[in-house]
Amino acid sequence: MQVNIKPITIFTANLGSGKTEISINFARMLHRRGEKVSLVDLDIINPYFRTRLAKDNLASQGLQVVCPPGHLVNADVPALTPAIRGALQAAEGYCVCDVGGDDVGAVALGAYKPFLPEGRFDLYFVVNTCRPFTRDFDGVVKIMRSIETNSRLKVTGLVSNTNLGRQTDAQVMVEGYGKVSEMAEKLGLPVAFMASPGSLVKEVAARLPGVPILPLEFYMKTPWEEVCGEG
Amino acid sequence: MSKVLMKGNEAIGEGAIRAGCRHFFGYPITPQSELPHYLAKRMPEVGGVFLQAESETSSINMVYGAAGAGFRVMTSSSSPGLSLMQEGISYLVGAELPCVIVNVMRGGPGLGNIAPAQSDYFQAVKGGGHGDYKLIVLAPASVQEIIDLMQVAFDLGDKYRTPVMLVGDGILGQMMEPVELADEVTVPEIAAKPWAAGGLQGREKPNIINSLYIVPEDCEELNKKLFAKYDVIAAEETRWEEYRLDDAEIVLTGFGTAARIAKSVVDKARAEGIKAGLIRPITLWPFPSEVYARAAEHAQKFLCIEMSMGQMLEDVRLAVNGKKPVHFYGRSGGMVPLAKDVLAEVKKIMAGGAE
Repeated sequence: MQVNIKPITIFTANLGSGKTEISINFARMLHRRGEKVSLVDLDIINPYFRTRLAKDNLASQGLQVVCPPGHLVNADVPALTPAIRGALQAAEGYCVCDVGGDDVGAVALGAYKPFLPEGRFDLYFVVNTCRPFTRDFDGVVKIMRSIETNSRLKVTGLVSNTNLGRQTDAQVMVEGYGKVSEMAEKLGLPVAFMASPGSLVKEVAARLPGVPILPLEFYMKTPWEEVCGEG
Repeated sequence: MSKVLMKGNEAIGEGAIRAGCRHFFGYPITPQSELPHYLAKRMPEVGGVFLQAESETSSINMVYGAAGAGFRVMTSSSSPGLSLMQEGISYLVGAELPCVIVNVMRGGPGLGNIAPAQSDYFQAVKGGGHGDYKLIVLAPASVQEIIDLMQVAFDLGDKYRTPVMLVGDGILGQMMEPVELADEVTVPEIAAKPWAAGGLQGREKPNIINSLYIVPEDCEELNKKLFAKYDVIAAEETRWEEYRLDDAEIVLTGFGTAARIAKSVVDKARAEGIKAGLIRPITLWPFPSEVYARAAEHAQKFLCIEMSMGQMLEDVRLAVNGKKPVHFYGRSGGMVPLAKDVLAEVKKIMAGGAE
């Protein structure tokens, strides 16, 4: 995926839009290029399916994951480690931040505004047009503006992540990209990139030539997917 | 119709709205907080009431009030919150008030943890509150089924004038799956409730909503009336899913998330030459006992899988009635059975190794 990447990339979205999977895969992509990357879990909203749960897996691949220490991993407390500031201020390498859903989750991000000088970061708003509340322009604007208010930062681009979970096909993603592009144009923002399950990247790329695509490998799985698949 | 990607918790909320529920009272608790979060946004869009009470005890009593006034009403919580609601649930039963109560279960006992569990089965189907009563208990296993069963829950509640409980666990509440939703929200037709305290409306005598039966003879009459109703519910409303059961030598069983895991194990076992099948109760009460009794005629063994130390297991054993051995595999306290471990248990049982 060829895009211009700033030292800090922050992903926000409506609850359940795929921020965590995108953050993980975005960090892995940078890591595979030989870059030094830290992945920051800023999710104080939802203790299920968040980055820290994939920490061991990611750490074994050499990725640095910044999240609360061991015994607090499953705690339902809004704990943020001091290591986050360090990751944001690192002189070299890249920092990828997974922010909790909605305007409520963006409050945590707002606390770090002093460490986010303009030009040093991109703040992306991830959109899945198959999710409740972000199915149309008005819904997206409402949530995006509330996130901007609470984080005290401006969104610099959209990410198209339209999907139907495991039932996603190329058509769903292509249609979603079309909708997100229209929204971005009205907002005067770029679509930074789109995401696609790895197995469908070729098909999507053929239908959307020139669009940067982040291939996704999934880390958050249900217990029946973990081992046997659903048959 | 269009496909929307929803979390289980959101689907409970949307399903309630589609079923005509416009009143929600609750108090947040993980792992069901997305449900009040969702309804806080959604209820104002459809002219409904979302109210965060100061506690679960208040929530369930607000439900009593709204149900008594004749509205379709819902509350939701997770395990410890449900423990707090039990008194109110017993009162709702005593006053024969329809409502829907949701429990997205988490690890216990005690404050436990926020991880998924199914250890409130006894609380849901064997009482929980005081007195002689049953709740209709629905146990969906997918996000689409949540949407579908919310309509069923409200309809059954109104039809039998009884509280209905819908149980899930943290995984079902948090996971996302596509659901089919009509593009427009239409309010379904809801039968009149001439018993409700919704104003005199031309009548001479007010309707009184009460669960106090101070004369023992009257209270016994209520119990007889309730149990006559339960007989009808058991005869007409029992729901279950059978999967590859016809020639099964080992029958796996479980509800909700555990059943979903068991189903994947059935396929895996079949691929390895073991004739496995599945019974998934959709109503935990009324329990589909007859299906187990029938299966016990041809199957050799049963394996009950739960996210608890074994609760539904007792009902399965009662239903199988000693005809065949019923084994158990469970994880508890917020741990989830892994399909590979369940498969290993199936192999061990079929090799005659497990007791």
